[in-house]
Amino acid sequence: MIEIVPRKSTGWHTQVAAYLVALVLGFATSALLIKAGGASVAEGFGALYEGAFGSWEAVLQSLVAATPLIFTGLATVIAFRAEIWSIGQEGQMFAGAMCGYWVSLYLGGAPLLLAVPIIIFAAMIGGAFLGGFCGWLKTQFQVNEIISTVMLNYVIIYLLSYLLAGGPWTEEGSTSYHQTPVLADNFHLPLLVDGVKLHLGFILALVAAAICWVILKKTPLGFEIRALGFNPTALRFKGVNVTRTVLVVMGLSGALSAMAGVSEIFGVNYRLRGDVMVGLGFTGIIVGMIGGLNPIGAVIAALLFGALANGSLYMSVLSDIPPSLVPAMQGILLLFFLSASVLVRYSIRIKRFTHV
Amino acid sequence: MTSPIIEARKLYKSFGKVQANRDISFSVNGGELLCLFGENGAGKSTISACLTGLYPPDSGEILFKGKPLRMKSPAEAIRQGIGLVHQHFVLVPDFTVLENIVIGSEKSLVVQYEEAEKKLRHICANYGIEIDPNTLVRDLSVGEKQWAELLKALYFDADVLILDEPTATLDIENSKKLFRMIDKLKADGIALILISHFLDEVMQADRVAVLRHGAVVGIKRTAETTPEELTRMMVGRDLEPKLRDNSEVGEPRLVLENVTVEGSDQLLALNDVSMTIHHGEILGIAGVAGNGQNPLMEVISGIRTLASGRIILDGINIGGMNARKVKDMGLGHIPDDRFVAGLVPEMSIEENLILGDHRGLYADGALIDFGKMRLSAERAIKEFQISAPSSETPTGNLSGGNAQRVILAREIMLATKVLLANQPTRGLDVGVIEYIHKRLLEKRAQGVAVLIASSELEDLMNLCDRIGVLFQGRLMGIVDAQDTSLEEIGLLMAGQPLEVAA
Repeated sequence: MIEIVPRKSTGWHTQVAAYLVALVLGFATSALLIKAGGASVAEGFGALYEGAFGSWEAVLQSLVAATPLIFTGLATVIAFRAEIWSIGQEGQMFAGAMCGYWVSLYLGGAPLLLAVPIIIFAAMIGGAFLGGFCGWLKTQFQVNEIISTVMLNYVIIYLLSYLLAGGPWTEEGSTSYHQTPVLADNFHLPLLVDGVKLHLGFILALVAAAICWVILKKTPLGFEIRALGFNPTALRFKGVNVTRTVLVVMGLSGALSAMAGVSEIFGVNYRLRGDVMVGLGFTGIIVGMIGGLNPIGAVIAALLFGALANGSLYMSVLSDIPPSLVPAMQGILLLFFLSASVLVRYSIRIKRFTHV
Repeated sequence: MTSPIIEARKLYKSFGKVQANRDISFSVNGGELLCLFGENGAGKSTISACLTGLYPPDSGEILFKGKPLRMKSPAEAIRQGIGLVHQHFVLVPDFTVLENIVIGSEKSLVVQYEEAEKKLRHICANYGIEIDPNTLVRDLSVGEKQWAELLKALYFDADVLILDEPTATLDIENSKKLFRMIDKLKADGIALILISHFLDEVMQADRVAVLRHGAVVGIKRTAETTPEELTRMMVGRDLEPKLRDNSEVGEPRLVLENVTVEGSDQLLALNDVSMTIHHGEILGIAGVAGNGQNPLMEVISGIRTLASGRIILDGINIGGMNARKVKDMGLGHIPDDRFVAGLVPEMSIEENLILGDHRGLYADGALIDFGKMRLSAERAIKEFQISAPSSETPTGNLSGGNAQRVILAREIMLATKVLLANQPTRGLDVGVIEYIHKRLLEKRAQGVAVLIASSELEDLMNLCDRIGVLFQGRLMGIVDAQDTSLEEIGLLMAGQPLEVAA
C-alpha cells in the first residue's frame, strides 16, 4: 500500500534544491527525446543556450518573449488561488488585443502619452468583461467556469478570424494574410533599449506581478481570494459577498490576460494578426502552475519559458531539432515541477500490507 | 482469582514531540469490562492502536494470556484474538455484510462462503443481532453498520474486544442494546475494553482507567466511585458549579414575527415561527437536528433568505438585511459545522479570527493591519485558552475543542447584542463543554440575548431560561426551563403540540 503523508515542514533551501533537481531532470528527459529523434543533444542544447542567453541581445530578446507569459501566468495565479479554474487566458488575451486595436482606430493622431494609456485601459476593460462574464455565469447559473472559459476562447478566436479574413479590420489588398494594417508609431509601446524590442510592457508586467503579490499577501481582497479557494462556505457565513469576490477575481484575471495581448500587439508585432500570440494564454497556465501559484514564482517561470521559446528559434535554425520539441519540453518540465512541488509537501511511503 | 487475558506494562508511545502515551499499565480479565475514560486527545485511541498492532509501542510490553505479544500489523492482532470495533466505519458499501467480513481473511484461494455464512448466522443468533449477512452494507442503517462492525470482530473468535466509542453513532435504544450484548460477551469470558467519554456508559463498566495527558491517573472500580470523582480525575480539578443566577430578564431584544423560510423541496424549512428573546436571556432550542435549527440560525444572521415575516433587533428590522450588516450590529453566530461553516481549516488561527472583519476592524487603509491581527490573536489565544504551537497554526490542525474555542473567541467578541450558538458543544469533552457554558452565561449576564440549539437536553435545562422545540420547521411551543420536565420536552420533540403535551 502506498501512503502519502504530509511533511512537517521544509526549509526554503530544500524547496529550491527540489526545483533545481526537477529542472535538471526535465532537461535530461528532453535530452532523451532529442536523442530518440536522432539529433545531437550537445548541438541542440548548445544552440538553445546560445539563442536564449548567448549575447546581451539574446537575453533581452528572452525578456521580450517572457513578457506576455508573465501576464497570462499572473492571470492564472489570481484565478487558481481562488480555486476558480479559468482556462480563458487565451481568449481574454485576444480580446484585450482586439479592444486595444478597436479604440486605436478612433484615436487618430493622438499623442503617445494619451493613446497608450487609453489603449491599455480599453484592453483591460475588454479582458475583465470577458472574464467577469464567465464569473457571472458561474455565480448566477452555476455554469462551470472551465467550460465557459474554454468555449469563449473559441468564440473570440473565430470573431477575430471574421474581422481579419475579409472583415472590416482586414488590411486592404492583403486578404490572404489575415492581418490589419500596421499601427501608427504613436500607438507603439515605448522601447526600453535601442535595437531590441524590449518594450514598456516588460516593466508593466513586473509592476503587475508586484501588485498581485501585494494584493494576495497584504489586502483584504487577497485574504478573501485565499479563503474563497479553501472554503467559500465559511466566508458566506461571515457575511462576505462571495459572488462579488468571484466577479472581481475573474475580472482581474481577464484584465491581466488582456495585457498580454496589448504587449504583443502594441509592443512587438505592431499589427493584429490571427497567427501571432497563439498558445501564449495556455502556456500562461503552465507558467502559473510551475510558479507555485505565487506571483514571484510566476515571473521566474515566465522568464524560464521565455528563454526556452526564444532559444528554440535559434535551435531550429542551427540544428536538426524541430521547434515543436519546445512545447514537449515545456510539458516535461511542468510534470517534473509539479512532482517536485508535491514531494516538497508530502512524503511517499510504501507500506507492506499483510492479509490475514 | 483469574489471570488477566491482556495486560499492558509501562507502555510509552510518542509521535514526534508529542508524548501520546506515558507509562500506561493496566490489565483486563476474562469476562470483565474495563473502560478507558479521558478527554479528547488524552491518549485513548493511541492505546487501542498499540494493543491492536497498528503502532508498536516505543517501550513497554503487552502480555496476552501471560505471554509477551509482538505484533507487526492489525491483521496479526486479529489472528491472535484481539478484535477492534472502530469508531468510524471501515466497511465497503457495495459489498454485503458477509463479503465485508470474509474478504481479505480467506486462508485458501477459494472463499468458503457457505461455511462463513453459517458461522455468521450462528453468531447473530447467539448475540441477538438482527442483520442479514447478505444485505449490502450500503443499505444498512447507521445502527446496523455498527452491528456489522461488531460482527466483524466477533467472527474471528476474539478473546479481547476493544470498542472505540461505539455509541457515538447510536441512538439511545441501540446503545442499550449494545450494552446488553456486552453483558453477554462478558458472560462468555471475553475481556472487553470500552473507550468512551460518556459518563453514563463509563459507569456501566466494571473498572475505569482514567487518562489525562497520555498517562493513567488512576484505575477505579465503578462500584467504589462516583461520576463526579471520575470527572474530577479526568479534568484534573473540580468542575465549577453552574453559574446561572436567577436574575430577571430584561426588555425584548430579538423578536421574530411569523418567520417563514423556503426549504429545498415543497416543505418549508421554517414555518411561521414567532419568538422573543429578552435582554440577558438564554433561549434554548431543543429538537432532533434537522428540524429547522440551521435555517433558524441562518435566517437571523442574514445568510438565508427570509420568505416572509419580520426579525427585529433592538427595534430595527433586520429581516432581509445582508449578513455583514447584521454582524456589524453586534450579532455573533457559532455555526454547527466547525470546519465547514465556522473556519477555513487551511488558514491560521489569527487569520480565522479576523474572518469577516478583514475589511473593517482589521483593515488599515487598503491593507490588512497585520500587527493588530497578531496582537488580538495572541490576546484571544490567552483569554480563550486555545492550545496551539502559535497563532500561525492552521486551524485544521487543531482538535475539535480548540477549533471551537477559536470560533468562540471570534463570535463572542462580536456578540454585543445577540449570540446564536448552533450545537456549540457537539462532540466535545466535558472540560470544553463546561468552558463554553461558562462563556455563554457570561454573555447572558452582560444583557446579550442568547439563542442556543442543542441536542443535549440536560445541558439546555441547566443553561436556559426558556426552551423552545422545533419540529419539522414549526415551533411546537416554548416552555419555562424551571417548570418543565424531560418528558414534556420529549413529547414536543416528537411533534405533539403544547396543549396536548401539557
